[in-house]
Amino acid sequence: MKTTYNWLREYVDFDWLPEELSERLTMLGVEVEGIEQVGGAFEGIVVGQVITRDQHPNADRLTLCKVNDGNNERQIVCGATNFKAGDKVALALPGTSMPVPEGEKPFVLKAGKIRGEKSAGMMCSGKELQLSEDHEGILILPEEAIVGQSFAEHRGMAGGDVVYDLEVTPNRPDLNGVIGLAREIAVLAGNSLKKPEVNLFESETLAEDLVTVRIEDTDLCPRYNARVICGVKVGPSPEWLRNRLELVGMRSINNVVDVTNFVLMETGQPLHAFDLHLLAKSEGKPTVVVRRAKAGEKFTTLDEQEHELSTENLLIADEEKGIALAGVMGGLNTEINESTQDVLLESAYFNPVNIRATSKATRLHTDASYRFERGADIGATDWVSQRAAQLIVEVAEGELATGAVDAFPGAVKQTEITLRHHKVNELLGISLRAEENLGYLKGLELEEIDTSDNDATFRVPTWRVDLKRETDLIEEVCRLHGLDKIPAAPPRGVLGENSFDSVHDELAEARSILTGLGLDEAQGQTLINGEAARLVADNAIVLEHPLSSEMDVLRPSLLPGLLDSACNNLTRRNEDLGLFEIGRTFAAGEPETRRLAMLLSGAQQPMYWGDTNDAQSCLADLKGLLEGFLERFGVFGVDYERRAESTALYLESAELKLGKQVIGKIGQLLPLLGREYECRDAVFLAELNMDVLLQRRTRAKSFKALPQFPAIVRDVAMIVEDSVTHACVLGVVKKAKPANLVATRLFDVFRGKNVPEGQKSMAYTFVYRNVDRTLTDDEVNNEHGKLVAALSESLAAVIRDT
Amino acid sequence: MSLLDEIEPMKAEALAELFAATDQSTLDRAKGAWVGPKGKFTGLMKQLGSLSREDRPLAGKAINQAKGELEQALAKARERIESSAAAPTVATDFTVPGRPRRLGRLHPLTQVTEDIVKSFRKLGFAVADGPEVEDEYHCFDALNTPADHPARDAQDTFYLDTPERPLLRTHTSSVQIRVMKEQSPPVRIIVPGRVYRRDTADATHNPTFQQVEGLYVDKEVSVADLKGTVEFVFRELMGPKTQIRFRPHYFSYTEPSFEIDFANSLTRKMGKDWLEIAGCGMVHPAVFEEVGYDPEQWSGWAFGFGIERIAMLRYGINDIRLFYENDVRFLEQF
Repeated sequence: MKTTYNWLREYVDFDWLPEELSERLTMLGVEVEGIEQVGGAFEGIVVGQVITRDQHPNADRLTLCKVNDGNNERQIVCGATNFKAGDKVALALPGTSMPVPEGEKPFVLKAGKIRGEKSAGMMCSGKELQLSEDHEGILILPEEAIVGQSFAEHRGMAGGDVVYDLEVTPNRPDLNGVIGLAREIAVLAGNSLKKPEVNLFESETLAEDLVTVRIEDTDLCPRYNARVICGVKVGPSPEWLRNRLELVGMRSINNVVDVTNFVLMETGQPLHAFDLHLLAKSEGKPTVVVRRAKAGEKFTTLDEQEHELSTENLLIADEEKGIALAGVMGGLNTEINESTQDVLLESAYFNPVNIRATSKATRLHTDASYRFERGADIGATDWVSQRAAQLIVEVAEGELATGAVDAFPGAVKQTEITLRHHKVNELLGISLRAEENLGYLKGLELEEIDTSDNDATFRVPTWRVDLKRETDLIEEVCRLHGLDKIPAAPPRGVLGENSFDSVHDELAEARSILTGLGLDEAQGQTLINGEAARLVADNAIVLEHPLSSEMDVLRPSLLPGLLDSACNNLTRRNEDLGLFEIGRTFAAGEPETRRLAMLLSGAQQPMYWGDTNDAQSCLADLKGLLEGFLERFGVFGVDYERRAESTALYLESAELKLGKQVIGKIGQLLPLLGREYECRDAVFLAELNMDVLLQRRTRAKSFKALPQFPAIVRDVAMIVEDSVTHACVLGVVKKAKPANLVATRLFDVFRGKNVPEGQKSMAYTFVYRNVDRTLTDDEVNNEHGKLVAALSESLAAVIRDT
Repeated sequence: MSLLDEIEPMKAEALAELFAATDQSTLDRAKGAWVGPKGKFTGLMKQLGSLSREDRPLAGKAINQAKGELEQALAKARERIESSAAAPTVATDFTVPGRPRRLGRLHPLTQVTEDIVKSFRKLGFAVADGPEVEDEYHCFDALNTPADHPARDAQDTFYLDTPERPLLRTHTSSVQIRVMKEQSPPVRIIVPGRVYRRDTADATHNPTFQQVEGLYVDKEVSVADLKGTVEFVFRELMGPKTQIRFRPHYFSYTEPSFEIDFANSLTRKMGKDWLEIAGCGMVHPAVFEEVGYDPEQWSGWAFGFGIERIAMLRYGINDIRLFYENDVRFLEQF
């Protein structure tokens, strides 16, 4: 909503400068989003009076004058001679942009020295002001000119103004008009609101003889007021009206329409003017019918768009056709045009919910629909019509028919609210006296209908649709009293509790371990591409109206997002990546699930000048990270089960299992898919169900005494079939249960020379130790011998001599 | 020359040789020549028998003393030779880069979220959480924002294409409802989390972004309490000299409602007196009624703000999309 400084000043007195007013409005809750100084004619030129006139000491043709500008005396050097002390003149102050003929570059006046004497301004000639061709001497103003007054005002012209662009919150439709804003300012300034006076000169014709109104749906239109102005002359608006509308961003159309727009901006009440003779007549006069549209009824609005309506749309019609889409936009068929003579002026109240629905359905968002859907002032319908009728007669002549046809089947029910004074203080944390509360609320024109020491009951004016209960009144007191007067109390209160509180910390702990392992944390988009989602799941949740196909589903996995992040990096030549994300994932029929995903690609180690280790990350690097993380996080006993086949995502992969529960996957990305993400190097991915990790982690820690006695170590190398896994070996060891064995470590896997095709050599270190004594070689050899035999037998292993 | 007279000159010669040795093998040779089994001092000991009874103990003592001195000198010489062997042959260039270790970093949004959580926890707030896929009830209706309410326009919502037509929460305020329905008052929580609005991505919008919500419900909670906590938290986050200003505003689920502006050296650098940073207000009695709290007995406040906005202000980041691209050159700056 736009308004101007001068416009507001017409309805309320205040002595704040434009910047101060902006601050006041903002602190009242009407945020000033933009403030624009609009130059008027003769900006910077004031009426001055010559005090002395002397000869310039260094120039015969110049005079040296002292001139009063209304505030100060200034020295001015002047080339003219047609004036004397006491004359009133048009004085341009330094910084003034002098009027120039259109198209010429403006000339800005500066203070300076002329022939060694200071000159702080210029007394202007008629030509310099673009008022005449006379440049022989300066312009001498009449004696009654007021010193200090702006030259524009002196000539009765509009001066400059300041345009405010305001953010009016949706609960305050009354502030979508200048009068509503002025009412608020009036309370702050302690002055009264000066609503424009309405004095109507009505003709002998009665409005009701010229038009009939029939409301068929009083729920959607509780009030419809019609006035008629006959014999108007449609034409351009006068300058003041055009200027005002243009300042607040409206286009001037013609004098009649401009008045309806002006009054809309002034009062916040939308109006519409019809050409009365374009309405169908029945029984000698037209009837305005307010009805629901028929299903499929076609209607063309002013902007020449045809709409197909439904019974949910309210239509203003005559007996034959629709003439306006109620509360949204008028019809093309009855608009005011150059030959319009008689004007039908509509001022009505429409149901906000219905207007909002129609506006949305037809995609017509107009100044009118904006206000109706927030709630118009049902009590002001007739007054606003009178105000507009008077202005139409003023600017477009014509005669106003007597009275109005005011269809208003139900009376207005005004809200009554009781305010308990102690509640104000409790909620705001201050101590206001009852009189202060009453003062603020009555200033807003709330009517005090009952009062006692402890409370007061108010009748809420019809324009304040937002005031519904006590707390709303407390807010009004809070606003007007000023938030800066409420002290900030030191924080206090109970210790908060929530079951999630510790989970937050566990997630932070996980992130901290992962960064310690050298991974950077990424945060991907929640909305991702459906095709990418299908790589990992076929039950992604689809958006109803996605912004684009790039973001049409909720991520069922973090991996597509990590791949997007990898792609972003690789296209920018950041080739060595170690990323993780902990985030939420979504899938149809499943609860929201937190996951942890990791991605590794590129060099294994950061570049170091001292050696040439350019090894690339491999699956073992990622598995090592994963194992390190799981151990630090307290998840033990994870099994890795290789999946026999490639998947849509993985070239080769394994499932991570805790017992029977699959908790995640690890593997290598399909190289062909990698290429779509700009990956040239191998990419390794893992994703785990974080919620399960949180449930299954062990956080208990207990101390085990450090070993006191030496360990005895035995190495075994054996040749086994390729299909024998490390897990198989561990299985045999576990089953054999050699006494005093405390660790089993794989230290080599080898294929090739001296190892038959289809087989491999695996080498292990077995560590034996007893907590209470030093073991003897014999007892270790005995146990170890049984273990080697078990390996040899169970795995068909050929034990190599070491 | 008696044996006794030979001891001193021999010792002097031996010491000179040990001092002169500059490497281990010379030293070893010297050791062998003087104190080894075939060394000259060992030889002297063997000659003791030829001495008179009176001279024998005297000479024995003198020889042992000299041997002791030689052993000490030998140990010193060994240390000297070892440390000179360990000395660098070429001076190390301490200015060349060391071998880098890979150290990961937390995402800047995580870091800012943690800072926010820390400041609130100092005051006794607990962290709470709720679903991102929400229903209209928790996201709007229970927050005093019915379907036909113009306030819904400001938050263009993503709906999901499933029969119940759930939505992605447009604000973390939905968690207020869930927590209050579950817990009885008093309540003191903050809720960091992702929220969604149907905005096309540009420098200041991303359809996914993150908020923090704060809620405090207790007896006799007032606007003054709200101001105190907000000032505390924002001074923690934006610096101790940060000024905070409250402006009346409108949110359907708080009454009165305010917007919070801040001012500090950052805003001055941006050429602004004040910058908007958060919205807040006293919990609307209709919201309390909805969750079954008696508004006559309990009052409370809530506030919320964008995490990206804080991070962008704090670090001078000019494009919100950078947070979700995860360019490592970006991530490694925080």
